[in-house]
Amino acid sequence: MALQSVDADAGFDRRGLGLTSQGIITAVILIICGALVLYPLFFLFAESLNIGDPQVFPPERIGFGNYVDMLFDWRIIGNTLKVALFSTGIAVTIGFILAWILTRTEIPGRAVLERLMEVPFYVTPLVGALSWSILAAPQSGFLNQAWAYFGGSNRLIDVYTPMGVAWVMALFEGSVAFVMISAAMKSMDPALEEGARVMGASKLRTMITVTLPLVAPGVLGAAIFVFAEMLGSFAAALVLGIPGHFYVITTAIWELTLSYPPDYGRASALGISLFVIMFATLALYRWLVRKDAYSTISGKAFRPRRMQMGRWTWVLAGFCWLYVVVAVVMPLGALLITSFERFATVLLHQAQFTAQNYITAFSLASVRDAIVNSLILGFGTATVGVFVMVLLVWIIYRSRMPGAGVIEYVVMFPQAVPRMVFGLAILWAWLNMPVSLYGTLWLLGIGYFTVLLPLGVRTLAGVVLQVDKSLEECARVCGASWTHQLRTITLPLLKPGILAAWLLLFIASVRELGVSIYLMGPNSKVIAPAIVSSWSSAGTELTAAMAVIQTLTIFIAVMLMFWVTARLSKQGNES
Amino acid sequence: MKQAERIETVTEMTAAAPVDASPEPAKPPHIVVSDLVIKYGAYTAVHGVSFDIPKGEHLTLLGPSGCGKTTTLRSIAGLEHPFSGEILIDGHPVYSSSRRVNVPTEQRGVSMVFQSYAIWPHMTVFENVAYGLRVRKISADAIRVAVEKSLDLVQMRRYADRPASQLSGGQQQRVALARAIAFEPAVVLFDEPLSNLDAKLRGEMRVELKDLQRTLGISSVYVTHDQEEAFAISDRVVIMNEGRIEQIGGPQDIYDRPRNSFVADFVGSANLINGRVDKAASGADHITFRTESGLSLKALSPRPVKGDEAQVAIRTAYIGLGATATSHANRIEGRVARRMFHGDFVQYLIDWPAGQLVVRRPPAELIEEGETVTIAFDAEHCVLLEASTS
Repeated sequence: MALQSVDADAGFDRRGLGLTSQGIITAVILIICGALVLYPLFFLFAESLNIGDPQVFPPERIGFGNYVDMLFDWRIIGNTLKVALFSTGIAVTIGFILAWILTRTEIPGRAVLERLMEVPFYVTPLVGALSWSILAAPQSGFLNQAWAYFGGSNRLIDVYTPMGVAWVMALFEGSVAFVMISAAMKSMDPALEEGARVMGASKLRTMITVTLPLVAPGVLGAAIFVFAEMLGSFAAALVLGIPGHFYVITTAIWELTLSYPPDYGRASALGISLFVIMFATLALYRWLVRKDAYSTISGKAFRPRRMQMGRWTWVLAGFCWLYVVVAVVMPLGALLITSFERFATVLLHQAQFTAQNYITAFSLASVRDAIVNSLILGFGTATVGVFVMVLLVWIIYRSRMPGAGVIEYVVMFPQAVPRMVFGLAILWAWLNMPVSLYGTLWLLGIGYFTVLLPLGVRTLAGVVLQVDKSLEECARVCGASWTHQLRTITLPLLKPGILAAWLLLFIASVRELGVSIYLMGPNSKVIAPAIVSSWSSAGTELTAAMAVIQTLTIFIAVMLMFWVTARLSKQGNES
Repeated sequence: MKQAERIETVTEMTAAAPVDASPEPAKPPHIVVSDLVIKYGAYTAVHGVSFDIPKGEHLTLLGPSGCGKTTTLRSIAGLEHPFSGEILIDGHPVYSSSRRVNVPTEQRGVSMVFQSYAIWPHMTVFENVAYGLRVRKISADAIRVAVEKSLDLVQMRRYADRPASQLSGGQQQRVALARAIAFEPAVVLFDEPLSNLDAKLRGEMRVELKDLQRTLGISSVYVTHDQEEAFAISDRVVIMNEGRIEQIGGPQDIYDRPRNSFVADFVGSANLINGRVDKAASGADHITFRTESGLSLKALSPRPVKGDEAQVAIRTAYIGLGATATSHANRIEGRVARRMFHGDFVQYLIDWPAGQLVVRRPPAELIEEGETVTIAFDAEHCVLLEASTS
């Protein structure tokens, strides 16, 4: 009797789940997403243990040989750590100074600057690396050209170095540090600083004794998060590292899979190892953030009060503008000039201007297809993604279903896997499937959806959680079923937020590189890998034109997104 | 087994005696909550509460925040999944752990007013109120009539075509009310519906709520942490604390005869005095309570004396001072130590043999600080409290 009653409760839950439409939809979505995320990683892990013929699956011989081989790659691991540390250091330093200036001090043109800070993020590391290679390649780089023209000897700078790679990574992948540190600074009660001022402390003393210790956990969190991202960074090392034979783990994996015969076993072992390091780093980050979640980030937004900095104002503003010039104006300017030139040069009196690069880009079948395919994939991934992800978010954060926490982990999992490692995993998993999807846009779509799950779910969670739960509960009390409630209350309320999330997913798809580079086939080319192959085979000028086309597409979507979110916040103020 | 019997009697009663024709004063319970336990993981929010609500009664769950009152209310609506227990509406289980029943919210036929009002900002006032009717697939004409009727009841008809996002807090409150009653539910649940309004508006809405409830004859469960509100609008009040029921009774009953120190302290203001019952000196209609300081008080024990009681409660409003000290049961001399003017009443802090006594009197008769006064109160206003379990 007693045993039955214990069992009864669990069975009763399960029965309730199985019968409702909510239960069925939930189960289907979970199985699909779980398989999409975990299945490829399982294949990658299995392959990393393959010490027989790397092309045969399932492995003929199992062993740890591929992992032992990594000991011979110690230089590559060292390179990876070195570049990740340098770039994290640069990104966090710049991010901290910018965040402090823009959230805590009064400078002219702050609103414009704050928007401009987001631009490098949308430029993408690939385009950033290309632009900086145009700017600072050892001989042909614009900066070195100008240096020589004005009588400088030797070369001014060389971006094809470890420091060059770290610099470009910091500029174009480090903007997240700025975002995270400003969030920490914005969530700090200005009364804490004012308290110090009232007690007689100077501005500098206040910053050192109050501001810094209070935001320190936030800064540390940002540093660890950025470090994890840098470990998995691919594009900058691909464009700037390989010419100088400087390899990090991601580019080493790329070379191993590109070589003949491809050594998938060793590539997988390197990939799994990188994943483990990145996972551990992100776990450390989560632990750190959770511990401090209640003390530093109160979740309350404070009305920012900014300090008057007197004559320092212009120095601080100058620093912000310098960053904009280095990370936005110079690289995009160089890219734009080059795309209209016959030969890339900064010495304009020598330049031959032409629109030929664009004409070529649009008339060359492979380039045109890549652009069209990227747009199709962007539309498809964003549309399907948004609908599935809204349901996922609802299940994770609202349904109170048993196991919702586990689902959250599964969905967020791709965040901890370096993008191009996941690409390799997906490739390997689908090559060994009876259904032949390789070489089709379908496979790319599935890949994009999988790796964009964390981004989409996180964005939509913000949207969904803003909607008061009782708005939905009230519909149920009024007699609406779950599907009716979703249709008449949840989805209409989420519409503007969903539109913004759609655009974000579209942007992320169009700029995708790590997964695309493995999953595209001869008949399913997409823009980012096409830019990479054009860079290594065709000229700089055509590549620049392609990069401009990609960047322009992204910027149009970004503008639309800003417009939508601005309207959204206006709507929020009205109600 | 005991539960099953109880359910059968309930169904029998409803079958035998139709509600409106019933001549007897004891109405059949409309809602029965029994042994309800609600857990969040290892934390138990509600520890087996039981109460029932007769047809047409207005019952209030009152308690400090975190006492489990809202959780209990939400599980009646089906918005919360209890761990065990049973909830019956009209004799039918809507939740029962032993019978494995859990009727989804939308099929329970209850209605609810939310603390945040939950007015849908993407609809007009009319669409908000019509929602529950549209779900029920009623003809458009009937919907129009019903919506206008309920908007009339809350005096919001002229706002029908307004977008709901443009309403003030008080207006949203009224629309939420109209929406909750538009589809003529038999039960309406209220989750602190007035807590977001300012004091003045809250007072007006209380009167309106009480009128509305009388007009419609609905059964209702109301949750609040405001004891004034609970007393003003309820037939019966359930005092909850830390997931348990401390006392159930009519407002005056709870005020006059609090069961234990928690109720005496949480509801109204009272002096709690430590001591013990003097059994030898106690009579049939009152008992003698000897305070720790040796003072003998004539007191009332609403329940049979168990022997472990150690406190009496005296309401600050029931104590006479000087000219108003008319009672003969308990008369003691004291001295006014402090006087504080509050407006509607004056609070005196009086030194007396058992320490300090708080007394609240109307502002008409002021007594100066330092004066010696006679304190007097009836035996029935000096209530013996049950020993607290915690």
